[in-house]
Amino acid sequence: MSALQPQLDDLAQRLRAGADAANDIAALEELRVRFLGRNGEVTLVRRGIGALPPAERPDAGKLINDAVARMEALLDDAKARLARGALDEELQRRIDVTFPAPEASLGSIHPVRRIVDEIADAFGRLGFATVLGDEVEPSYYAFDALNIPADHPAREGFDSFFITPELLLRPHTSPMQIRTMQQHRPPVAILAPGRCYRRDAVDARHLFQFHQVEGLLVAEGIHFGHLKGALAHLSRSLFGPDQRVRFRPSFFPFTEPSAEVDTTCPKCKGNGESCSMCGGSGWIEIGGAGMVHPNVLREVGYDPAVVSGWAFGVGVERIALARYEIDDIRRLIESETEFLRQLQ
Amino acid sequence: MRLPLAWLRTYVDLPDDVDAIADKLSMLGFPVESIERKPTITGVVVGRITAIEKHPNADRLQVCTIDIGAAKTLTIATAATNVAAGQWIPVAQIGAILPHVTIAPRKMRGVESEGMLCSAEELALPAEWFEDGIMQLDESLPLGSDVVAAFGLCEPILEVEITSNRADAMSVLGIARELAAAYGTALRAPSFENPASLPSPTERAPRIELRSNDCTRFVAQRVEGVRVAPAPSAIRIRLAQAGQRPIDALVDISNYVMLEIGQPLHFYDADAIPNAHLIVRDAAPGERLTTIDERELELDERALIIADENAAQGLAGIKGGSASEVRASTTALLIEGATFVGARIRRTSARFALRTEASSRHERTLPPALADAGVARAAQLLASLGAQLFAPVVAGGEIAPTPQIALASHELRRLLGIAASPDSIAFHLRALGCEVAVDGELLSVRPPWWRRDLTQSVDLIEEYARLEGYDRIPESLPSVPATEVSSARYRREREAAFLLEALGYREVLTYSLVGESLLGTLARGGLDERARSVEVANPLSEEQRYLRASLEAGLLAYLARRDERAAIFEIGHAFARDERSVLETPTIAFARATDPVEQPEWREEGFARVKSDAIALLSRLTGAAVTVASGEHRFLHPGICALLSIGGRELGVVGRLHPYLAQSFALERPVYLAALAFDAIPEYVAPTYAPPSKFPATYRDLALVLAPEIEAAAVERVARAAVGATCVGVRVFDEYRGAQVGAGKKSLAVRITMQSPSETLTDTAVDERIDAAIARLHDELGATVRR
Repeated sequence: MSALQPQLDDLAQRLRAGADAANDIAALEELRVRFLGRNGEVTLVRRGIGALPPAERPDAGKLINDAVARMEALLDDAKARLARGALDEELQRRIDVTFPAPEASLGSIHPVRRIVDEIADAFGRLGFATVLGDEVEPSYYAFDALNIPADHPAREGFDSFFITPELLLRPHTSPMQIRTMQQHRPPVAILAPGRCYRRDAVDARHLFQFHQVEGLLVAEGIHFGHLKGALAHLSRSLFGPDQRVRFRPSFFPFTEPSAEVDTTCPKCKGNGESCSMCGGSGWIEIGGAGMVHPNVLREVGYDPAVVSGWAFGVGVERIALARYEIDDIRRLIESETEFLRQLQ
Repeated sequence: MRLPLAWLRTYVDLPDDVDAIADKLSMLGFPVESIERKPTITGVVVGRITAIEKHPNADRLQVCTIDIGAAKTLTIATAATNVAAGQWIPVAQIGAILPHVTIAPRKMRGVESEGMLCSAEELALPAEWFEDGIMQLDESLPLGSDVVAAFGLCEPILEVEITSNRADAMSVLGIARELAAAYGTALRAPSFENPASLPSPTERAPRIELRSNDCTRFVAQRVEGVRVAPAPSAIRIRLAQAGQRPIDALVDISNYVMLEIGQPLHFYDADAIPNAHLIVRDAAPGERLTTIDERELELDERALIIADENAAQGLAGIKGGSASEVRASTTALLIEGATFVGARIRRTSARFALRTEASSRHERTLPPALADAGVARAAQLLASLGAQLFAPVVAGGEIAPTPQIALASHELRRLLGIAASPDSIAFHLRALGCEVAVDGELLSVRPPWWRRDLTQSVDLIEEYARLEGYDRIPESLPSVPATEVSSARYRREREAAFLLEALGYREVLTYSLVGESLLGTLARGGLDERARSVEVANPLSEEQRYLRASLEAGLLAYLARRDERAAIFEIGHAFARDERSVLETPTIAFARATDPVEQPEWREEGFARVKSDAIALLSRLTGAAVTVASGEHRFLHPGICALLSIGGRELGVVGRLHPYLAQSFALERPVYLAALAFDAIPEYVAPTYAPPSKFPATYRDLALVLAPEIEAAAVERVARAAVGATCVGVRVFDEYRGAQVGAGKKSLAVRITMQSPSETLTDTAVDERIDAAIARLHDELGATVRR
């Protein structure tokens, strides 16, 4: 064994001791200069190669190079240790994450729009398009084309605001049925949400303006069972997967057969028993529906012997009252900040 | 409509449970709005006062001897003053349960009283509609029989809603028919045979003249030997249960028939109608009528009346006149049972605000045959009171039969989604009174005379579904074929709403109908909106007379209601008067009420915020660059108002609220508004991607001194044009006024950024373009560079 080896081992040992003791990068740099620098201790050893016995000389260079590599690795390790030490110090830092942060400046969407949008989404999944229309309509679209001729007793039920005898604020969004069917050949599958007006005195349950979503599907082979399925789908989308719907016979001039549509009371889940929302019946009314009357189909040039369809109308405010347990419908239009904040 | 269950049960066998009956009615299309439940009453029987004497020890009491059909009479002391020997009265025996008391034997001032004589109130009837004191019963009632059972006093009353298409169902019998069909049980309908046996003596026979087509049938019958007296107990009690006040036998019979079968009748005092001649005609302009409730009406030709040879005697189908009304002296009647065109009745009833039980039935257009039935029913009841009947006279000709309707059973499957056999269809339709012939798949159906609403095959399909039960039709989801209708407009409105939410605005709703208080506030702020506002012809109140001409006013009213920072928006329609119609403008409006900030008069941070929100919204919706120019708008401060446009198309405005309006709304905070016309916003155009230049961009900042009226937009435009193709951005980023630039001047800091797609620009090249820009800014805008 070469006499050089113990000498190199000693150097490495001292370097290690120095590196272990170093507290900062500068100390390590100092060590590097002292041991591996141009005039460092390794250089001194290298200069001493000539003094070695001739037999040891050929391996001396390799021995020294290996030792240098080991010492450089030692220094690198020490450097990495120091660097992580700084991060470990950072890791000791603690802040109070519960300390209140400034509120994000996000606004909010009105509950009425949210419900309309959820209905649009639920029916969008079934293939329905959503269309918008004017609020002032000729009576032709609001009534006549919907099988409600001038002297029909049902006109009174719509209790409309008139601008002129021929022009009124739409009492429902059903005019969009007629407008869409007149512009497109069947099949037609639309949803028509929008603001409607009826001459109701304002109180906790009534507004003279409200939002309705009308649905219309006309194609070959469409029947009443599909209407029930679609409204059950709607109710489940809005109120949860266990909702059921109940159809009761009713009368609307533009549908035959016609129905009032109830759904499981979302508050008592149909248990009734002195429920303040449904009055104990276990059901709440969400709208009207029925098979499109053949007279309406004929009016838009569809053949009722070939296509059939259904339509429904649901009241958005009524759904909002049930869903958010709102005590007074006027809150929806007062839109107080606190109200909007709670329902955002 | 109030439906006494006891009365219903006389025509059809029903379950005991009223809730089950109510459910059945609801599922038949007659929603039960409420059920009025009666208290338990037992132990009340029919008695007769055989003797009456003063109480020995009490001035106010009388002691009655009562025969209740038993071996032993009862002795009952009473404080009532309307008692007399010979009266038939209800007697609560010992042990009887009345609404507020259980009857026990007791001594009344030393006399042992064995029960109690009952008033109407104690029998759960409206006290004010019956005798003041002890209720009087018919002398024909068996003594000792159960009063409660005889009159169904404990049976509930249903309040039922009847849809406007069901002229046939506005009666106890009409609903009984439905229930009989639904339960599959027999209907015990009253006879509609007219028992008249005497031929009308010619000079007193009614003569009917129909001068209007709006009366389609008129049945008149002369009845003599009538007497105005209380009606039989059964009639009085049923009327009271149905919510109709009993008056006297004649009025009560007319009301009873209307409630029972649905045909309103009118009884004239025959002696008040000269020659028994009745004329149905349009009223003459200015013609007057005093109704039986003493209302003076001034008529015109729009009103249909029944007149005698001299004057109006009644408003057809709505209310009779006082001149020929039945009075105490009446001994002979003319009964009118008529059919009118419903619309005519409805319009007249609405115009005079006279809505009666009669008009609510006539306005649905009653089946003509019901007129004959109603007159016949009244004749039967009058005859039972001893009146003499003369043969009825009919005007209006033959009644057209109901139509024959063809129905194929596969149509039910197509429209309802359930298979129905021809036999099961026939079964349900027959239960409703239809005549049905079945030929294989095909049914030929004739509805009964009372169902004039059934005119085509879908009507019959609904009848089938109703009786079968809507709940028997299974739910399924349709597979909707692809359609050509687009949701683009809705999606865009939705996107606008969600962008505004992200920009920090809360969506609110405000009223579309506005009135004096809002318009007045606007007017005090110098803005007369009345001239442009659309007026509603039939508003609910002055506060809802006009359609809103802007959304801005509603947002201001909202902000004025609370003194707080707010950012709100509404998407809705504004309305303006147009020459022939209404101009409707879907609008996006948003507003910010901010805290006041210290800032130089030429700077407006709040404006800048709302402007950048509007620009962000518009550029996201369109994919295009938005141009800003100063402008004017009636709601905005004339010096802080910008017009926004894209490609030369004006889209809306943004600015600070006009100070006059701020004052009239008492808005102390600075308020900034934006209003965009939804339909003016161009369609979204998808941008194309351009890879960024590989060569570095270079910029130069200039401090320009200008006249204060020179706008930043002008500086940007001129600089961009002068620099030319390598200009990739010009932006004015600071403004300064003050001593360092001198009075009447302002300084704008502008950064010009240049970049070439094909080379690195040299300093020389950049400086050359910048110098060109400085020269142009000087020549065109008078700008000098501050060094």
